Amino acid sequence: MEPHSFLWHYLWMAPCILLALLAVFMWKRGLHREFPAFFCYAVFEAVGGGIIYAIDLSPQLPGTVYWRSYFSFSIVEVFIKFVVIGEVFTHLLSHYPPLARLAKVLITGLGVVLVFTATILAAYANSAAYWLISATRILGRSVSVVQCGLILFLFLFAAHFHLRWRTPVFGITLGFGIVASVYLAYWALLAGWLFGQKSYLLDFLNMATYHICVLIWCYYLLVPQKSAATSAVVLPEHNLDIWNRELERLLQR
Amino acid sequence: MNLAIILVVAAAVALGVILRLTVTRSLQAKGNSNSGATIRPIDVEAFRNLIDPAEDQYLRGLLPPTQFREVRRARLLAMAAYVQAAGGNAAVLVRMGESVLARGDPRFAEAARQLVDDALLLRRNTTVALLRIYMALVWPNSPFAAGRVIDRYEQVSGSAMLLGRLQNPAAAVRLSSRS
Repeated sequence: MEPHSFLWHYLWMAPCILLALLAVFMWKRGLHREFPAFFCYAVFEAVGGGIIYAIDLSPQLPGTVYWRSYFSFSIVEVFIKFVVIGEVFTHLLSHYPPLARLAKVLITGLGVVLVFTATILAAYANSAAYWLISATRILGRSVSVVQCGLILFLFLFAAHFHLRWRTPVFGITLGFGIVASVYLAYWALLAGWLFGQKSYLLDFLNMATYHICVLIWCYYLLVPQKSAATSAVVLPEHNLDIWNRELERLLQR
Repeated sequence: MNLAIILVVAAAVALGVILRLTVTRSLQAKGNSNSGATIRPIDVEAFRNLIDPAEDQYLRGLLPPTQFREVRRARLLAMAAYVQAAGGNAAVLVRMGESVLARGDPRFAEAARQLVDDALLLRRNTTVALLRIYMALVWPNSPFAAGRVIDRYEQVSGSAMLLGRLQNPAAAVRLSSRS
């Protein structure tokens, strides 16, 4: 076991504790019924992260145990993250039935393209002495490509159609978007073995980003949000008669 | 090495886009922009004339191929400008309908929901129509029809008028220009 700084311990455990608290508050407020996938994600990250942390610190357990545990943890985490993205997608589109079909077609097509891209990237990956380290990094990089692409699509789609995000849904997506993009850079640099012995710097950056995203989730899910503006909507310039005449003329053609 | 750099750049771009959209959303939420100010009236009759296939057929028969392609491209660009304006108006109407929905007033909820649905369909159709126009710009001889956009525009303007009437019986929304 290598000695770690206080910052390292904090950045690992603080998000786990915060996610555990978030899960408790979600349960108390009934948010677990509204966002079951994200609730599972919070519980899994809190418990799984704590277990991996304990394995990493345990002097009795060899490094191979840590990497096996971490790899298994990553596989389950990937699955849960995709379910959370699906949940966000469903929440976003639930109020917009006219766009549901188009969005499903687009996201399916994009998913296929992203998985294809991720597979090609995996095929060009560098290998390490220990296969499990390589596998973890390649898995992380490939999955980050897909997740980052999907979340970016969600943001662009909503922005293009001016869809209104519900605050908790936006918070979950924002956190996942930041995590996915930073993870993509992190895993790309790790899988490319560009930082060598200095890779711990990337670990700190990655952990700090995750910590910030957990705080974002806590803020958007737990802090009461101001209700939407209640001022009367200012209607555009009025001219009903001319518009009606125009429509009648068009309909009679 | 190169692959890693490409992915890092892609990640940075993605993060930048996400953060920018987040800031835009928060500014819009604080400002609650005046939707009426950005509506652009559209001359529906002129647009209908522009997308009329008979006009294209007439020009095709009248002009030599090179000149026809030039004229066709000019007409397509004009068409794109109309469609962009219609799409912009649809976006404004989506925001307007959403604002009414957010007020939670049951008297306007149904009309506002109808407006949002119609405006979203119009926005979708304008997006598809723009793609087709840009493709037609590359191949000016290809057939093109933007009829669904104009039909949807009529429908969405009807929804906007209904909502306008409900909120202010003395006034309504004008989306087309005087002609």
